[in-house]
Amino acid sequence: MSSGDAALQSSSSKASKKPTYSRFTQQELPACKPILTPELIMAAFIFLGITFIPIGLSHLSASDHVVELIDRYDEDCIPVDNSNSEAAYNKRIGYIQDVKTDKTCTRTLIVPKKMKHPIFVYYQLDDFYQNHRRYVKSRNDEQYRNPAADHKTAHCEPESMNNDNQPIVPCGLIAWSLFNDTYSFSVNGNSLPINKKGIAWESDKTHKFGSKVYPKNFQSRSLIGGAKLNESIPLNQQEDLLVWMRTAALPNFRKLYGRIETDLEANEMIKVVINNNYNTYTFKGKKKLVISTTTWIGGKNDFLGKVYITVGGICLFIAVAFISVYLIRPRPLGDPAYLSWNLDPASN
Amino acid sequence: MKRYVYINDDNLAQDLYCDNRISNRKYTIWNFLPKNLWEQFSRFMNQYFLLIACLQLWSLITPVNPASTWGPLIFIFAVSAIKEAWDDYNRYLSDKKANEKEVWIVRQGIRKLIQAQDVRVGNIVWLRENDEVPCDLVLLGTADPQGICYVETAALDGETDLKTRVIPSACMGIDIELLHKIKGVIECPGPDKDIRRLDANMRLFPPFLDNDMFPLTIKNTLLQSCYLRNTEWACGVAVYTGNETKLGMCRGVPEPKLTAVDAMIDKLTGAIFVFQIVVVIVLGIAGNVWKDTEARKLWYVRYPKQGPWYELLIIPLRFELLCSIMIPISIKVSLDLVKGLYAKFIDWDDHMVDLETKTRSNAANTAISEDLGQVEYILTDKTGTLTENKMIFKRCCISGRFYGNENGDALTDTELLNAVSSGSADVIRFLKVMAICNTVIPVRSKSGAISYKAQSQDEEALVRAAARLHMVLANKNGNILEINLNASLLQYEVLDILEFTSERKRMSVVVKDCQSGKIFLLSKGADEAILPHSHAGQEIRTYAETVEQYAQLGLRTLCLAWRELDDDEYQEWALMFKDANSTLIDREWRVAEACQRLEHDLEILGVAAIEDRLQDGVPETIATLRKAGINFWMLTGDKQNTAIQIALSCNFVSPEPKGQLLMVDGKTEDEVCRSLERVLLTMRITNTEPKDVAFVVDGWALEIALKHYRKAFTELAILSRTAICCRVTPSQKAQLVELLKTCDYRTLAIGDGGNDVRMIQQADIGVGISGREGLQAARAADYSIGKFRFLKRLILVHGRYSYNRTAFLSQYSFYKSLLICFIQIFFSFISGVSGTSLFNSVSLMAYNVFYTSVPVLVSVLDKDLSERTVMQHPQILFYCQAGRLLNPSTFAGWFGRSLFHAIVVFAITIHSYALEKSEMEEVSMVALSGCIWLQAFVVALETNSFTVLQHLAIWGNLVGFYAINWIVSAIPSSGMYTIMFRLCKQPLYWITMILIVAAGMGPVLALKYFRYTYRSSKINILQQAERLGGPILSLGNIESQTRTLEKDLSPLSISLPKNRNSSVYEPLLTESPNSTRRSLGAGAPFDFFQSQSRLSTNYSRNCKDN
Repeated sequence: MSSGDAALQSSSSKASKKPTYSRFTQQELPACKPILTPELIMAAFIFLGITFIPIGLSHLSASDHVVELIDRYDEDCIPVDNSNSEAAYNKRIGYIQDVKTDKTCTRTLIVPKKMKHPIFVYYQLDDFYQNHRRYVKSRNDEQYRNPAADHKTAHCEPESMNNDNQPIVPCGLIAWSLFNDTYSFSVNGNSLPINKKGIAWESDKTHKFGSKVYPKNFQSRSLIGGAKLNESIPLNQQEDLLVWMRTAALPNFRKLYGRIETDLEANEMIKVVINNNYNTYTFKGKKKLVISTTTWIGGKNDFLGKVYITVGGICLFIAVAFISVYLIRPRPLGDPAYLSWNLDPASN
Repeated sequence: MKRYVYINDDNLAQDLYCDNRISNRKYTIWNFLPKNLWEQFSRFMNQYFLLIACLQLWSLITPVNPASTWGPLIFIFAVSAIKEAWDDYNRYLSDKKANEKEVWIVRQGIRKLIQAQDVRVGNIVWLRENDEVPCDLVLLGTADPQGICYVETAALDGETDLKTRVIPSACMGIDIELLHKIKGVIECPGPDKDIRRLDANMRLFPPFLDNDMFPLTIKNTLLQSCYLRNTEWACGVAVYTGNETKLGMCRGVPEPKLTAVDAMIDKLTGAIFVFQIVVVIVLGIAGNVWKDTEARKLWYVRYPKQGPWYELLIIPLRFELLCSIMIPISIKVSLDLVKGLYAKFIDWDDHMVDLETKTRSNAANTAISEDLGQVEYILTDKTGTLTENKMIFKRCCISGRFYGNENGDALTDTELLNAVSSGSADVIRFLKVMAICNTVIPVRSKSGAISYKAQSQDEEALVRAAARLHMVLANKNGNILEINLNASLLQYEVLDILEFTSERKRMSVVVKDCQSGKIFLLSKGADEAILPHSHAGQEIRTYAETVEQYAQLGLRTLCLAWRELDDDEYQEWALMFKDANSTLIDREWRVAEACQRLEHDLEILGVAAIEDRLQDGVPETIATLRKAGINFWMLTGDKQNTAIQIALSCNFVSPEPKGQLLMVDGKTEDEVCRSLERVLLTMRITNTEPKDVAFVVDGWALEIALKHYRKAFTELAILSRTAICCRVTPSQKAQLVELLKTCDYRTLAIGDGGNDVRMIQQADIGVGISGREGLQAARAADYSIGKFRFLKRLILVHGRYSYNRTAFLSQYSFYKSLLICFIQIFFSFISGVSGTSLFNSVSLMAYNVFYTSVPVLVSVLDKDLSERTVMQHPQILFYCQAGRLLNPSTFAGWFGRSLFHAIVVFAITIHSYALEKSEMEEVSMVALSGCIWLQAFVVALETNSFTVLQHLAIWGNLVGFYAINWIVSAIPSSGMYTIMFRLCKQPLYWITMILIVAAGMGPVLALKYFRYTYRSSKINILQQAERLGGPILSLGNIESQTRTLEKDLSPLSISLPKNRNSSVYEPLLTESPNSTRRSLGAGAPFDFFQSQSRLSTNYSRNCKDN
């Protein structure tokens, strides 16, 4: 060894006594250097496997406990056949856009299992792009919150001003296209009350929408989108609107319609009278009525449970595979023999 | 452009030239903003970001708040601008200090104190001892009656010894009072940057002297920034001022160097840019198609029937903005930051402190640390770099008698001592030449001890040796030189000095013996510069052989000679010499010619041999670095034999029979061509043999080869791992660097002297040794180190870590940007291809600026292998050299990983937050949290060593993410109001996070483990060996092999051609290198390399060469 390296060593022994900042500057901070040993990896995968499968199972069982009633009514509540023909398509549009027709429609649902309250009533729209860029941006939160900000209709185009150039409150396409089907339920002839209070987020009611902001000039233009609003109720009490304004990120979504505060027994017949007003026929979207209970995971959703079990299974499989490879072809870690420059070129 | 400087004329030429205000500033207050912005926007990346930011101002297409791009952009620009402004302000302050320094000048015949900036050309400036020279002056008078003064030129050229300056002979003897009134004119060339030359003339006006022209040289000047030493006062006339001084002209902004890593990052950025454009075009078309077929049916979207003319552009532009985050804006800042830190680590490194001089290593260029890890060629100077440049007189041969051959030290050779004391005439003459023929200045300290100040280490060694042999150079008083010989005092008058130049390779002095009045010419120089000029009939063969013999021992040789001159001859010559010295055009050449006329018929006195010891650790360093696959070229001005000897002694080449030296020589084109072809042929043949072949070329042959046979020489350069180039000039050194650079090799040039500066500046990385030849090289270099052996640590530790860290950091930056961008793209498929952003502005901005940049910054502390392991297995540097950690294929890995992770995050998010939970803000936050969780684990998985800081950054960042989002969620006016609180209360959220992490990291982990264990790279194996704490391999084994190169230099198996075995003993002459290369390329082990940079192929080719 040269004297230079000796000097190197002596100074390195000096450095180890130095304070931390100097260890930092010398890049000598104490470090933990884990490596991927077979034991560690196998333990990790086995652990993942044996924890994920139970989580998945419990998730699945929770999902299984959810009683869910789905009724697609858009096709049946319209007196047009289900064909895909152009004529039927036009007929459907003609029907839904005709304001004079009575669009009441009665559906009968059978409760498959006992449903404990609270029971949630949702409407589900499929292929409805609430996340479309033109749509999702067409709102002005300032106007909704602040009673003095009527005129703030930026971003709300093309639903910002009415024909007399008065600002529309609430402005924007989202509010304009508010869902307007209504449902009334009855069980065995007795009407089943739907609690429509408290379906919106509390924070929306207290902060996002003003208690002194009243609808103005809403749906007053020739082209009417969806529901109209009672102009005497402030925006933050219009819970249907608040729910609707929480735009969905996905084209298939459910929105809370109300809650049923009583239990429903198995095999009970629910009669639902639907006012089928909302136009999903132009874009061939679906409308569904969903009645569902919830558990700790929320509504029915098998996805997570299945994926958990799959991932857990794969982890176990990987662990087994690694173990068998480890047993069949053990390879010592850090064997210098694998360093090619230690290999004799002749043996290669 | 000549300038005429009228001395001490207050009216004339005042405003013709600039004042003495020094300005190093780049900006003024007024032009700072436009100029700085212009500079910043001349970079493509910045233009790109600016364009994106401008597009975002168009609210129709912007997916997010423009602030999310403008914020970081302005921040980044502000940081760069503030840094520039700060540097400029500091320059301004130091300028101001220099400008406001007070100096004495003469105005109207009276000495006045003014600020340095007010000095004008033609003013007479008075300096006192230890004053700094404020501008370039021509000396007029000094306190010394002989007109001599001493200056320290350290600030100018880094040389710390004192130099003498003399007043022009015209001014000799002018009284101090008269100096105030002196008038005259100096005719000098326009400002230039040559600090070693001034070809000017001076004429004093009557009554001072007759109208005669007097030559001025650099010896008559005091240049700006030098210091006056050992002289009570001096005065001179300002000839160049302000930024037109020699120093001012030397200043220049060196070309910024771009590292290979930067180039690769630029390339990858370009690729991503193309990818982005493709995505934008595809999605743009899809978006427009979807809009026309589907979206028009969505009555609630209310597409107008007739859009504006640019309607078709809107959706593509939206996607352009949505995808603009693919190119991370943070990468520039992150890289600048970590690069600064790499440089700091070099500055801080205690292991690279030269304990003798207490100098630390210094990284002057903070931007190129990664390149250190990718060096393929090291071009090194010999003297002062490999050797200590501490010259010691070791042997001599005086009139055929050898001294110092037995004990290796002539100074203790009794024979020589006896010869001195007995007064042997030959020996005394030899010693006299040693003591007199030089420019050494003896400085007598107060205690009476004499120390020598010399510009040349050789001269100092000779004078010291002479002093040891009782021939003491005691005093130099103007032209009178005193020598103590055995207590008797000899006086000589120095009449002329025929200076050393690298072309002449000799120097002579003409002296007059004050006792006898005889005139002598004393010469010393290289053998080939002296021996041919010996007088006819002298037996010079013995000397030539002696020189040869000494050179074989690695000693530097100087031939000493003398001649007695006739008075007439001298007088005649002196006129000619003076004439030559006063020419303005081609003075150097004319002077050389004049010297030639005197230096003939010399009597050779003997040969002095000076040892230049190897620095500590040089052979080990070279061996280690060659094991690391770095090729060494030695470029030296020394002679061939000395160079070869040094090369042998420092492991540069192996001795016969293992090593083989091939000479490229010749004096004519034909000879060089033949020799070059011969060498090439041999090289091609031995290509396949495990032999250490090196070629040796001298400056002359190199000149011809570079001029006429560039192609052949380039091929030779590629084939040869080692080369020794001797007798090369500074510009040839630079040319060789250039040659290797054109072959796409990463070059590192290391040197210590002024003659290495050009090579250092030319190379990809310039390393200067802050050594005894001054700081000139260290100043010009990107890195300066105290000793050659620190190069090992600089490359293997700092270079390697820097490369590894940057490779990770840059690819990771792209990974995280792509990750979030892919999610946006996927989301566009479920949002009607309309260009909706899933993430809100705050999240997008914070994602790049906070959430993902902090953890990755601490990767500057990551060490894949310990320093010890790397030092023991320098071969591991191959991974850096060949760019194995950052290249298109590794990048593809990261690209794939980000795609996979984006799929995982997106699929799990939209399925677990489906239907009644599909609220926009929640889904967006779930996806974002998924990304943050994944990236934390990715950083953790890719980190090799966790220090406290890493834990803090990785996990702290995760906590920080929630903290920031809780804060934002608590602000009622923000779009995210209450979102994070809602999510954190849902078990579903946490289950989703766990699933995203497991599904995202599981396969990555499994794959990594599999590769780590069953397809392990050498790095992995060493990591395992190092951390399992087992006996670290065959260490002793390897240590003992440091000098036996063969085994260690055997190539890595990955690059080992299958046919190696068979080809080793194949008959020679069958394979040309081209065919070899082709067969390599087709070989199975090489397929893996094909996609990678050609560095790897080069490398394997080189590996094969040994």
